[in-house]
Amino acid sequence: MKPCYLGIDIGSISTKGVILDENNEIIRSLYIWTEGNPIEAVRNLLDGLKDDLPDCYEIKGIGTTGSARKLIGLMVDANIVKNEITAHAIGTLSTYPDVHTILEIGGQDSKIILLENGIITDYSMNTLCAAGTGSFLSSQAKRLGIPIEEFGSMALESQNPVKIAARCTVFAESDLIHKAQLGYEKKDIVAGLCKSIVLNYLNNVGKGKKIKGPIVFQGGVSKNKGVVKYFEEVLGEKVIVDPNSHLMGAIGIAILAHNNAVGKTYQLNIRDISFETKGMECNRCSNHCELLKIYKDQKLVDSWGSKCGKF
Amino acid sequence: MSKKTISFPHMGNYSIPVEYLLHHIVDANILIAPKISSRTIELGTKYSPEFVCTPFKYTLGTFIEALDMKADILIQAGGGCRYGYYSELQNQILEDLGYQFTYINLISQGKTDICKIYREFKKIDSHFHIIKALYYLFVTSKMVKYMDHVDDYIRMNIGFEIKKDSFIHANQLMLEDFKKAKGFFHLRHMYLKHFRKIKKIPIEKPSNCFKIGVIGELYTLMEPFANYDLEMILAKYGIEVKRYTNAHYLLFEKKKEVKKYLKYAREYIQYRMGADAADNIGRTKYLCTHDYDGIIHIKSSFCTPEIGAMPIINKICNQYDVPVLFFSFDANTSKVGIETRLEAFYDMIEMRRKK
Amino acid sequence: MDKIRIGIPRSIHYYYYGDLWINFFKKLDCDVIVSPRTNREIMEKGIQYANDEMCLSMKNLLGHISYLQGKCDYIIIPRIDNYGVQNQTCTNFLAIYDIVNNMFSQDILSYNIDVAHHQTEEKGFLEMGRKLGFTKKEIQRAYRDAKTFVQNKKQELIRKNIEKLNSEKEKVLLIGHPYNMYDDYIGRPIISFLEKLNVEVIYSDLFYSSITGPISKQLSRELYWKFNKESIGAIPVVQNKVDGIIFLSTFPCGPDSLVNELVMRKIHLPYINLILDDIDGRAGFETRLESFVDIMQERKRKHV
Repeated sequence: MKPCYLGIDIGSISTKGVILDENNEIIRSLYIWTEGNPIEAVRNLLDGLKDDLPDCYEIKGIGTTGSARKLIGLMVDANIVKNEITAHAIGTLSTYPDVHTILEIGGQDSKIILLENGIITDYSMNTLCAAGTGSFLSSQAKRLGIPIEEFGSMALESQNPVKIAARCTVFAESDLIHKAQLGYEKKDIVAGLCKSIVLNYLNNVGKGKKIKGPIVFQGGVSKNKGVVKYFEEVLGEKVIVDPNSHLMGAIGIAILAHNNAVGKTYQLNIRDISFETKGMECNRCSNHCELLKIYKDQKLVDSWGSKCGKF
Repeated sequence: MSKKTISFPHMGNYSIPVEYLLHHIVDANILIAPKISSRTIELGTKYSPEFVCTPFKYTLGTFIEALDMKADILIQAGGGCRYGYYSELQNQILEDLGYQFTYINLISQGKTDICKIYREFKKIDSHFHIIKALYYLFVTSKMVKYMDHVDDYIRMNIGFEIKKDSFIHANQLMLEDFKKAKGFFHLRHMYLKHFRKIKKIPIEKPSNCFKIGVIGELYTLMEPFANYDLEMILAKYGIEVKRYTNAHYLLFEKKKEVKKYLKYAREYIQYRMGADAADNIGRTKYLCTHDYDGIIHIKSSFCTPEIGAMPIINKICNQYDVPVLFFSFDANTSKVGIETRLEAFYDMIEMRRKK
Repeated sequence: MDKIRIGIPRSIHYYYYGDLWINFFKKLDCDVIVSPRTNREIMEKGIQYANDEMCLSMKNLLGHISYLQGKCDYIIIPRIDNYGVQNQTCTNFLAIYDIVNNMFSQDILSYNIDVAHHQTEEKGFLEMGRKLGFTKKEIQRAYRDAKTFVQNKKQELIRKNIEKLNSEKEKVLLIGHPYNMYDDYIGRPIISFLEKLNVEVIYSDLFYSSITGPISKQLSRELYWKFNKESIGAIPVVQNKVDGIIFLSTFPCGPDSLVNELVMRKIHLPYINLILDDIDGRAGFETRLESFVDIMQERKRKHV
């Protein structure tokens, strides 16, 4: 039996999984929508990965990252749970060892990571607001009646992107409607939206950061050719988008799972294990903490959100 | 005439000295408002103007909770930025909500009008005695000093305690005792006794542990609810935390210290920049040149003085190649987002050390 | 020797000191370069330099400075702490000089106004003139001449503004900082739109500050920002003569966020609160202004 390592990246919009062999080469990968239910998404993800994994492999390590990393870490009994910044950096370094700048725009987070000789030297993340991220882009695409897959190529057709104020989701939305009502062409609005995402990103997340090449762009939004084009235009540098750019977080955490393997063998049959969460407000003291209790096979395995540490 | 009920906003543990002071100088019920909770924030946000800084919302929420618990006198202090103007608007908002109360603003238009405050207290309690008040004011100021001193020690060591929560328990015992202080000498005796005990709490601290300086806007620094227990999260990672801002600093040292900071960081700044902005720039330079692994700058959203300081802090950190993390907290910031950023920050300083 | 070239950003301070500076430096035989009216490019540059959370007006100023960079010997940025104990300014006025000094490599000509500590405007100008190598006499003469000119001009503007109160049209009091109201990218489009709707716009800054300052106590006892005092002080002066009030501020202005909220709770005239954010983000403002004017007209008709 050959060892292999599973990395799961559970984002707000999509859930990604990869299985790496001992040389950190991808054996299997899968990308599905989270649809607001990370637990079910991971069950589906594991089913999908399990079905076409050759029999000669056994899983010797699991890592989780992304916004639901802790929850899913408990569910699959991961040997490592890490934040997505570190995971993305490690994943990208495995393909581009000399990378200097990682731009990442995901479902509700956007971040920039600066590296020097393979070490993170600086990073920053968006100010906890969804403006200019993937979820914002897809909701605007829906509003304009354009499939998100065509959004990028449509933006490329435009010569005169419309100016859109994208500092804040609410402002941007009203501005967008306004522009559409004024009769601007759709492709120009789409291009304007892509450009405003780039400008907003650089003014917010990228503020005061020294962006040097090689630059790698990843996260769901990196699949949007319009955004890539405007990044290159504004930065005046080539922006690399890896074919696996959406998987970098999962690859990174799989590598970390490999490096931190504890010798245990994992099964992917978690369909049969019941896993539930229960939210409640605790009234024992005036903190009124919102507790989240997690049950695995009807047994309480953890609870989060308590300030006093009683739980 | 029935006894009046006095209440005031929360900030960290400072409700203890404030209660102590009021208890000794006026004959009135003292209502400690419920600790800041999600309900406080909900109430505060609902009735606040849209882009006011967060402390306004938190203190307004606390006042509403206190008024609902039958408080009829509210006390607020002012400060060197927008904070100084909170009182008049909060007073108006609460009146418009139909509450009946007296609002005492200790610092009005940047100044403390002692005569006016004296008159206000005389109205509450006709036996109010100024000499007695001044004595207890002195004792309270010492209490604040002792609390802050112990706090500084705890902050540096809590990440390394062997038995979980031993520092917090010891600190709570001390604060409980402080409430019973009969006078200055009694207070000092208790302080010395407890601090000796706290220093004896066993710790396991490597000599080259990670050190982080936390700077920023005062309310967010001092109220753990407003900074989402940032210091406790850092402690979990085994990090020594240095924080300058505390009540003692603001009340007694700031005036003198600002001048020092301005001199110390004169290649960056020439003037005071409002509130604690200049102080924080001076501290940034100090932290950058004294082997700190990183700096975390926190503030509430829309805090104008700190926004002005941020580009300069960033510049200094870039020059000295010290990582800096900026947080802007609002009433609806997600704790998970903060933890992710802190975890990544820790990973980063760890990687840097290894290099 | 070539003349000294002084760059004046057409932003924040310009709307208080622009005329004074231009006259003063011209009297001293310096070249004066004023940045152009705010346009999209300047605004975008400003956003690039500024911190994300800075107010739109600060972003605007930084845009103007970046325009002037390299085009002059000095850019003038004063530092204003207060005009007396109860007449403070927003903390941005305290910090602007140091922020700009750290952001740009350009030489900056500055002076400090801190009346509470006896640093007056005249002293500031002396300091500035000395730095440029002029004698005390030359500076004082230039300052006094410029000051007289500016005061006369301002009186004329105030007279005209007060005269407008006799107009037959709908009259609206526009409350805002001059650097927002008169900026071509922030307030001007709103003013022109109001004029198109045939509304007479009365400006809150064009009254005698010796009247508006003290009278503002009627609305706010504890207010200590000079500029806000003077703009809200216009309300008691004109409240029986105007049909409505427009509050204009930029996002997220610190003083305005509190003061305007307090004032809005106390007045009995129709009002709207316009908060301007980011470039071109004013979708829907026109509709709001139109309906506001409708309300004013309706109200007037009922009263007649």
